[in-house]
Amino acid sequence: MLKNYIKIAWRNIWNNKLFSFINVISLAIGFSASFVIGLMVYYDFTFDKFHKDGDRIYRATTQFISPEGTDHFNGVNALLADALKQDVSGLENVSAFYTYRPLKVEVESRDLVFKKPNHVIFTDSDYFKVIDYNWLAGNKATSLLEPNEVVLTQQRAESYFPNTPVENLIGKILMYNDSIPAKITGVVANFEERSDFVFQEFISLPTALQSDLKSMVTNTIWDSYNSDAQVLFKTLPGVAGNTIQEQLDNLSKSRADKDDLADGEWSRFYAQPLEELHFDTRYGTFDYSVPQASKKVLLNLGIVALFLLLLGSINFINLTTAQATQRAREIGIRKTLGSSKKQLIFQFLGETFLLTLLSALVSVVLAFWLLRVFAGFIPSGLNFGLFANPWIITAMLVLLVVVTLLSGMYPAFVLSGFKPVSVLKNRLSSQTSATGFRKGLTVFQFVVAQVFIIGTLLVGKQIDYLMHKDIGVNTANIAYVKLPWNDAAITKKKLLKNKLATIPELSTISLGGAPPASMYINSNLVEFSKDGETIEVLQEQRFGDATYFDLYGLELLAGRKPINDTIKEYVINETMLHKLGFTAPEEAVGQQLLMGSKSYPIVGVMRDFNEKPLNSDIQPVVFVGDIYRDWFSQFNMLHFKIEPKTQDLAGTLEKVEDIWKSVYPDSDFEIQFMDETVANFYRSQQRTQKLLNWATGLAILISALGLLALVIYTTERRIKEIGIRKVLGASLMELQVLLCKDFLKLIAIAFVIAAPIAYWRMHIWLEDFAYKTEMSWWVFALSGIGMVVLALAIMSFKTLRTAMRNPVKSLRTE
Amino acid sequence: MLLQLNHIYKWVKQGGKRVFLLNDISLDVEEGEFISIMGPSGSGKSTLLNVIGMLDEFQEGEYIFDGEPVHSLKEKQRAKLYKEYIGFVFQAYHLIDELTVYENIETPLLYKNIKSSERKALVADMLDRFNIVGKKDLFPAQLSGGQQQLVGIARALIAKPKLILADEPTGNLNSKQGEEIMELFKELNTEGVTIIQATHSESNAAYGNRIIHLLDGSKQLQPQN
Ligand SMILES: Nc1ncnc2c1ncn2[C@@H]1O[C@H](COP(=O)(O)OP(=O)(O)O)[C@@H](O)[C@H]1O
Ligand SMILES: [Mg+2]
Repeated sequence: MLKNYIKIAWRNIWNNKLFSFINVISLAIGFSASFVIGLMVYYDFTFDKFHKDGDRIYRATTQFISPEGTDHFNGVNALLADALKQDVSGLENVSAFYTYRPLKVEVESRDLVFKKPNHVIFTDSDYFKVIDYNWLAGNKATSLLEPNEVVLTQQRAESYFPNTPVENLIGKILMYNDSIPAKITGVVANFEERSDFVFQEFISLPTALQSDLKSMVTNTIWDSYNSDAQVLFKTLPGVAGNTIQEQLDNLSKSRADKDDLADGEWSRFYAQPLEELHFDTRYGTFDYSVPQASKKVLLNLGIVALFLLLLGSINFINLTTAQATQRAREIGIRKTLGSSKKQLIFQFLGETFLLTLLSALVSVVLAFWLLRVFAGFIPSGLNFGLFANPWIITAMLVLLVVVTLLSGMYPAFVLSGFKPVSVLKNRLSSQTSATGFRKGLTVFQFVVAQVFIIGTLLVGKQIDYLMHKDIGVNTANIAYVKLPWNDAAITKKKLLKNKLATIPELSTISLGGAPPASMYINSNLVEFSKDGETIEVLQEQRFGDATYFDLYGLELLAGRKPINDTIKEYVINETMLHKLGFTAPEEAVGQQLLMGSKSYPIVGVMRDFNEKPLNSDIQPVVFVGDIYRDWFSQFNMLHFKIEPKTQDLAGTLEKVEDIWKSVYPDSDFEIQFMDETVANFYRSQQRTQKLLNWATGLAILISALGLLALVIYTTERRIKEIGIRKVLGASLMELQVLLCKDFLKLIAIAFVIAAPIAYWRMHIWLEDFAYKTEMSWWVFALSGIGMVVLALAIMSFKTLRTAMRNPVKSLRTE
Repeated sequence: MLLQLNHIYKWVKQGGKRVFLLNDISLDVEEGEFISIMGPSGSGKSTLLNVIGMLDEFQEGEYIFDGEPVHSLKEKQRAKLYKEYIGFVFQAYHLIDELTVYENIETPLLYKNIKSSERKALVADMLDRFNIVGKKDLFPAQLSGGQQQLVGIARALIAKPKLILADEPTGNLNSKQGEEIMELFKELNTEGVTIIQATHSESNAAYGNRIIHLLDGSKQLQPQN
């Protein structure tokens, strides 16, 4: 029986090659999207699931609570670990660690230097009691107790000491930044499963006192939080998370300023359970070099996959029920031969399954290709090998069955319900209802496609707007380099600047901090007294010398720039001006800003510019010189303009690098361009755009294929009618209208439904931006017209040929 | 007695009025009979055959098949009954285009859950008997009308039915092919298969041992000649 079914299913697929092809491709697109996105979901949901006592492990994070809302911070202060040990009960182990970014590490015995090793931390021996590792050499009881000890992971050990048995590494010395030696006391295995604990080198905590982290580690100010300061702890068995959190709340409150607390302002330590670590973007993970997984993104991707699958299933349902009349005869015969309804349902579901299976096979190839196309979205650890995972395979099979039922159930019931007498007598009444259903599904398809199209156009329009809006800052032909932070001498910076001035292709060279528009944050609170009232303003600082202003095209509205680089004089922007309660720029000049007990003059007012990506409004910004030079110079970048006429850009940059090397022989030269910096603000939007383009393309493709098949089918049914009409004198145009108008009606209905949905969805998306493009009517019109044109093109492919046929021929064949 | 129809009425509603397709039909069929139903086109021959074959419903009357009251049976039991005892032969053959000759003949056995080895033997016998062994891997479209009808009959016979219902089995055939089919029916009948056929043709009707005349859904008295 099964063999018989498969045989007939295969022959049906084979005999209707075009329709089968359309079915398989449509479903395969949905499947491949689902597979890839399913892989991503599986990948991201299986982080850190393997730790021993994982449900008892927490990371401490910080929440800054105020009546205006809560800010979330990924680090803690340097005192928390000890406070936990003393004041909080129910904890088994507490470990503090500090992320460390050494410039280099020297492998003494091999005379080798590795630059900027990543994933290095200073930590105590408790770290290994909280997070369990498999020790390949040394042990956790004796490691990291003394200063100048280090434990490596196997991977790191292998890169420092290739092909050396791990036992031989014990006692070997690593030298960090030429000054901090550390003896290897252990080697641990890397985790075999996915983990956010990415650390590769663990240096004993007391060693931090020899490094530039000393001030952070020894900081005794409770309110000094640092993103590099982390605390992990493990509770005793049976201790609930909320009892720990209660104690943490009490601890946090007891250390808060009483007045602030009364105002509802305090900093709260939050016990973040291990299972929240991977997805909670408010606190991040320990590795900033890769974008964090986001449930929202996964959800959106999942919705895209779901829609693509639905569109594919709809094609299947539409094509199968449209072909029902052809299958009806077979069904009638089978029933007279003794088939039950159930047997027929199984036959059709079997056929559907075969097609679905075929699609799945095709989709594996497509998925492989999609993984490459979307490499930018996909975590690098996610590869095709995951397809062999039993969970993934099970999920794929379940998906196959679900899709089979989804697309096969309705046609199977319609078809198997035919009464053999009416079938054999050519009287099919059940057909009409299926036509209505089919129309509904087609409308749904075009609604989805249309929403995607409008969305794509509007996202494109918004990104175009963001990229081209005048932000009040020059970006063309401007480049900047970051100066080495560990070589802070201002004389060297000035030397570099003077040397660069000899390159004729460079003009307007400036020493300063970050560019006017950038992601860097350097803000502080100032107070301002006016009419007996004191207001607090959070001001974003931009540091620069006298030429910084000219280079970036900033504009003074009143007053002047600071008279020299180090005098504490402020130039404020218009937003700040208004925050301080002034309207005319001249009014602010000469006023005093209060910082602590000292006051500093406002000497000028500059025109507003967008100091941040256009997601946010302009905030109060001040321009100052290198006012903290005595403590720490803020001139950490060198900016310059390259003459627009410069022919040999690469040669010019080479000259810049040569001069750099002569001043800073040991530091890496990394140049950034201002226009790229601004474009990079919108990288995540551009990724959204890329994804949306793809989703839209695929949605259009599936819907178009479905439309093509339906048009072919219905037109074939009407060949005789067309022949007769032609004999009666109908023109080509009239026939074309006759054949297309039903479908065009569906597309029109779809547009009416899609437009408000797209409007609503895009409205939500645009809410993330302070600066929004207009949702112009023409975007909607354009997408509607585009859809109609596309549909007409697809339909004409078949209808024109049919309408042009010689009527004598078509009437004879009937 | 194989089957008995008692005062069968079948009608459809058209514009609120009843249009009778079968009007008070009573009929007794003994096992081993060969009955021809005659009547002009539209007189209700197919409808009557479909009712006897349990493919179609009727509104009034009793139908007893092999001692079972068909009118009060559930769909499932009825299906079981005809699957077991009845074979159909159609004017338009109604072979499944996607299946070969062999597979078409085999299909009824599949629905009766007969073992593969047994199926093979039965189909082989049937191919042999109708001299179509050489055609077994061809598809219906590759056969002539007469050959297709042979396959249709072979398929109707494969499950060893007690009753063959043939609706104008020679309607699409030329007279020579038609005669061959009729000879075949005669032969089957002598082997004990009960046959009811609908036909226009006097000469075909004469193969039967009883003729029933239908007009507008009613049984007519047999005209004497
Ligand atoms: N379901 C039905 N609804 C309405 N009319 C029907 C239906 N079935 C059959 N008829 C009509 O009943 C009459 C008898 O049909 P049929 O049994 O096919 O006649 P025959 O086989 O003798 O040519 C015809 O006029 C046909 O149109
Ligand atoms: Mg008839």
